[in-house]
Amino acid sequence: MHMKTKKLSITPQTVCNILILVFFFWFVMACLIMPNINTIWSVFVQEGEITLEPLQKLLGSERAMKSLKNSFILAPSLALTVGFVGISLVLITEYFDIKGASILRLGYMTTLIYGGIILVSGYKFIYGNNGFLTNIFAGIIPSFPTDWFQGYWAVLFVMTFACTSNHMIFLRNAMRAVDFQTVEAAQNMGAGPGKILLKVVLPVLTPSLLAVTILTFITGLSATSAPLLVGGRDFQTITPMILSFSKNVGSRDLAALLALFLGIATIILLVVMMQIEKRGHYMSVSKVKTTIVKQKIRNPVLNVLAHGYAYILFLIYVVPVVLIILFSFTDSATIASRKLSISSFTLKNYEAVFSKATAYKPFLVSIVYSALSAFAVAVLVLAACRIIQKRKDKISTALEYSLLIPWLLPTTLIAIGLITTYNTPRFWMFNKVLTGTTIIMFLGYMIIKIPFTLRMTKAAFFALDDSLEDAARNLGAKPLYTFFRVLLPVVLPTVLAIFALNFNGLLGDYDMSVFMYHPLMQPLGVYIKSLTDSQTNADNSALTFVYAVLMMIISGIVLYLVYGRGENKVKGNNK
Amino acid sequence: MIKLDNIGVTFGSFEALKDINIHVKEGEFFTFLGPSGCGKTTTLRTITGFITPSCGRVSVRGVDITNTPIEKRNIGMVFQSYALFPTMSVYENIAFGLKVQKVGKDEIRERVNTMAEKVDLSQEQLQKKVSQLSGGQQQRVAIARALVTSPEIICLDEPLSNLDAKLRVQLRNELKDLQKRFGITTVYVTHDQEEALTLSDRIAVFNKGVIEQIGRPDEIYNHSATEFVCNFIGDINRLSPEFLTASGADKVSGIDLHKHSYIRLERMHVNDAVAGDAMTIQAEVESYEYYGLYIKYTLKVREQIIKVIEKNSGKPLYGTGETVTLSFNPADIMQYKG
Repeated sequence: MHMKTKKLSITPQTVCNILILVFFFWFVMACLIMPNINTIWSVFVQEGEITLEPLQKLLGSERAMKSLKNSFILAPSLALTVGFVGISLVLITEYFDIKGASILRLGYMTTLIYGGIILVSGYKFIYGNNGFLTNIFAGIIPSFPTDWFQGYWAVLFVMTFACTSNHMIFLRNAMRAVDFQTVEAAQNMGAGPGKILLKVVLPVLTPSLLAVTILTFITGLSATSAPLLVGGRDFQTITPMILSFSKNVGSRDLAALLALFLGIATIILLVVMMQIEKRGHYMSVSKVKTTIVKQKIRNPVLNVLAHGYAYILFLIYVVPVVLIILFSFTDSATIASRKLSISSFTLKNYEAVFSKATAYKPFLVSIVYSALSAFAVAVLVLAACRIIQKRKDKISTALEYSLLIPWLLPTTLIAIGLITTYNTPRFWMFNKVLTGTTIIMFLGYMIIKIPFTLRMTKAAFFALDDSLEDAARNLGAKPLYTFFRVLLPVVLPTVLAIFALNFNGLLGDYDMSVFMYHPLMQPLGVYIKSLTDSQTNADNSALTFVYAVLMMIISGIVLYLVYGRGENKVKGNNK
Repeated sequence: MIKLDNIGVTFGSFEALKDINIHVKEGEFFTFLGPSGCGKTTTLRTITGFITPSCGRVSVRGVDITNTPIEKRNIGMVFQSYALFPTMSVYENIAFGLKVQKVGKDEIRERVNTMAEKVDLSQEQLQKKVSQLSGGQQQRVAIARALVTSPEIICLDEPLSNLDAKLRVQLRNELKDLQKRFGITTVYVTHDQEEALTLSDRIAVFNKGVIEQIGRPDEIYNHSATEFVCNFIGDINRLSPEFLTASGADKVSGIDLHKHSYIRLERMHVNDAVAGDAMTIQAEVESYEYYGLYIKYTLKVREQIIKVIEKNSGKPLYGTGETVTLSFNPADIMQYKG
């Protein structure tokens, strides 16, 4: 803290600092602010005049209005079903004494290693037309409608079991933080198991529960893969509609308006969530906190029912994963017939993925894009965090808030903003057109990962002991030397963990990629979707399964490295 | 050696330090003592260069270093948390400053080994990560790291504050021993009076950004210059005017009933008047705490509660409700304007 006003002297470091600040100003303007302003502009200003025509078009479009209605049906119902299932999972694995809880936990956590388009295609393979279970049902009941798994209920079912990851991370952590002595105190005062659960345990979880419920609601609003794959004609939601409108030049304003609508709804919900976060969590005041001891369900009937429920949920979670893995090792005839036999197992699908350029190219494209974007975002945010940590002034505050903009916006809006802004030469992008190039998806990937990376990296920086830097300076080290030799090695495990999580999240991305991919550089998510569309071709299904298995392996390794080893843990929400 | 002249530090509108004047002599163990937020660490950080004062001058051996960059001051520092670099080994931590100074590898090795020997760190410990060391060993690494570059001065910012009581006493002695061995001018910050009294050659007592008193430990303790110092250092009894009147102390020349009067606990005696104890008064034992080495009595004299520390001489203890004679020398009463 320098108290005296010093003469301004231009040193190489000052020049370097100015250049970094200029870069951030450009990045924030070009990538975070201008695309969104342009989206609003493109909707409400046409041919230089303010217009409400797109709004009228939207109100007049039956498809668009129906998609809005569907999204607002899906979001609240999803919040309810995911809440119910999510709480069940946490109670089964952490609160009640259910036999085999550790196996059950593994099953419930499978959504952490696969999700999005892959998960939905897995469910479609089982429950869809000619699906594994559908065929079994049809075999038992000949009149069974084979196209039963379609529309609202199918979307709700898939998404209910796909969206419990946040519960398994955050709500489970909150449950583990419950001080068991409060439960014992309630028991000591004569409270029964039900009362203790409702009045002592669940209230402690309320803030986390509300937060994950809002995240689920937002996920429901911006649902993409599930309505696209199993929604059918009658149940399309906002994002698939934006995708459909954005493909046609004449309806791009509608796409932008719908994206704006989604953005406003997301912002409102996130503001509500921040208010809830501000109220804070219930902190234990106990000085000798004890961990939860699993509660036995004393009523034998309820105990059996609880065990039955736990294992049915386990099957719902695990069967798609097991079948994906099994069928990834089978030939196309088996996949087409859905009938497994010893002779049908083969490694040919894997050989095909690793040997045919058309098959491994999407995988390679995704790996390269994900790795480059995850690396770039890590470097960018490291520099930003250093500025935020060192300056603590209006500039650093503005930078921090600007970098959090993508957190408030749905992926679709960010994508629409980028592709509609940079489809013509713009000053902010040095008069270069980006839409249709290979760079735009890299930018998009980077942008969507900035807020999570910033929150986590900043936390690591602020957890650093200030004295470390002071000590290095006291021993004569210059700022850059201090940063690279002292500070960076300390935060590096966190940065690497965030890199891994971001890489993982981007590898199978569909929501951003579908708007931005280069036709010659099709990423995995988009490729899988195209394979799924024509799933009647068993070879395509086989490829999808192999990709799914490979991604599960990668995700599993990443999650083990980040969360599983007891150190270098990253806690947070990877949006 | 170190001179602070009229130092003032402000943070926004908050005046953290006001007109600080200190002269630390060569080889001296000088302590800044005071409660949290009194300005002692700010003063230390002004000496080391982490804070540039808004007014005043810092000089070392007559050279003005007020605006000298931190790395050019040649002042070593041991931080409260030790600030050992967690990703480096003990050896790398100690060698850090020498590497920055671009000292040759062989010389670094020699100097690190010599320093490690001086602070009792073994070769095996040098290869360990700092997290593998005990609190005491970590402190020795921090001291070695601060001393290896041969600074003229070493500053220690509450280095014992996050250790348990037993280790604190042990390391306090080690610290004093090291300082004597190296003969280095030392500036030490603490809020612990006992630590300050046992370690220091001289102490500056801080309160609300100003220095209340500078002196030797015995001067500070026996002749506290201000009411704050008197209260902050050690346990003390505040004597009410009624007590002074009842004991007859009000008749002694120099005792002013309008002033606040204090006396140290060990300067009063129970049923055992010593030479000079001109004043006596009857008291009733309320309770006692037995510490082995001494006994702390809580006595009631009229409505005033008086605490007395008696050395354990093996005599039977006085029980609750027992009447005893309390005696003291009025010269031991310290008075301050209210």
